[in-house]
Amino acid sequence: MESLYIWIEATSLSTWLRESPSLWAFPFVLILHTVGLAFFVGANVAWDVRVLGLSIGIPLDALRRYFRVMWAGFWVNAFSGVLLLIAYPTKALTNPLFYAKLALIAFGVVLAFRIRREVDGFGARADESRLARTLAAVSLACWIAVIFAGRLLAYTCTRLTVDFPC
Amino acid sequence: MLNQVLHAIEVYLRHTPQGEFLRTAVWGWPIFESLHFFGMSLLIGTVGVFDLRLLGFARRIPIAALHRLIPIGIAGFCLNFLTGICFISATPDQYLFNKAFYWKVTFITIAGINVMIFYARTFRRLLDTPPDSPPSIGARLAGGVSLLAWIGVMSAGRLLTFFRP
Repeated sequence: MESLYIWIEATSLSTWLRESPSLWAFPFVLILHTVGLAFFVGANVAWDVRVLGLSIGIPLDALRRYFRVMWAGFWVNAFSGVLLLIAYPTKALTNPLFYAKLALIAFGVVLAFRIRREVDGFGARADESRLARTLAAVSLACWIAVIFAGRLLAYTCTRLTVDFPC
Repeated sequence: MLNQVLHAIEVYLRHTPQGEFLRTAVWGWPIFESLHFFGMSLLIGTVGVFDLRLLGFARRIPIAALHRLIPIGIAGFCLNFLTGICFISATPDQYLFNKAFYWKVTFITIAGINVMIFYARTFRRLLDTPPDSPPSIGARLAGGVSLLAWIGVMSAGRLLTFFRP
C-alpha cells in the first residue's frame, strides 16, 4: 500500500490539487462534495420523511422523480470524492473511519433501492407498510451516520501524506 | 470605526457561554460541524426540492403537498443558525474578518428577501393553479434565486477556511 500512496501523491493531478493556491483546485472540489452531499442526502431525507408518513399528500410516484436529484448528487460526490482521495490518499486510506463511511454509503444506497421496491408494492399507501417505514427510519439514521463519519475524518486522521502526520 | 465595532463584538462573543463551551468541549466542534451539515441537508432536501418544483421539475406533485415538507427545512435552518452562532462565538476573529463569511451572510440575506417576496406575492396564486401546469415566471424566478442563493451559502461556507485572517 505504501508504494501506492507514494505513487498517487507524486502524480501531477494529486500535487496540483494539494498545492495549487487556486480556489479552483482543492477548495472547488470541496464545494462540489458539499453541494452534492446536500442534494444527495437531502433528496433521501425528503423521500424517507414521505415514506414515514409526513406530507402524505405528495404522490409517491411523482416524488420518485426526485431519485434523479439523488443520483445527480451521488455522482457529483463519487467524482469529487475520488478527486479528494487522489489529493490525500494516505490520509483517507490509513483511517479506518474512511472504510466505515464507504460501507455506510453502500448500506444507505441499498436501503434506498429496497424502500423503493417496498413502496412499489404498496402504491399510494406506502405509509401503511410497516416495513417501508422501518427501513425509512433506518435510512435516515444511516445518512446522519455518513455525515458524522465524513466530518470526523478530518479529526481522526493520523497521516496527512506519506511524509507528514496529520 | 468599523474595525473598532468589530473588535468590540469579537471580545463580547468570545466570552459568551456558548463560545467558551465550544472552545473547550472535547469533540464539541466536530459534532457541531456534523450537525451543521445535517441541518444543511434538511434544508436542501426540502426547500431545494421545493425550488426544483417551482422551476418546473416533477410538475405532477401538487405545490401544496410539497410545501408540507418546508417545516423540516425551517428546522434545519434553525439548527444551523444555532450551531453557526456557536462557531462564531467560539472563534469570532475567524469570521468577523473573513471575506467568505460576508459572502455567506449576503447569500443568506438574498435567500431571506427572496422567500419574503415569494410568500407576499407568488405563493397564494400558486396554490390555485392546477398541478401539471407550467410554472409562472414569478414561481420560476423565486425557485431559481432560492436555489442559487443556497448553493452560494454552501460554497461560501466551505470557503471560510481558505479566507481565514
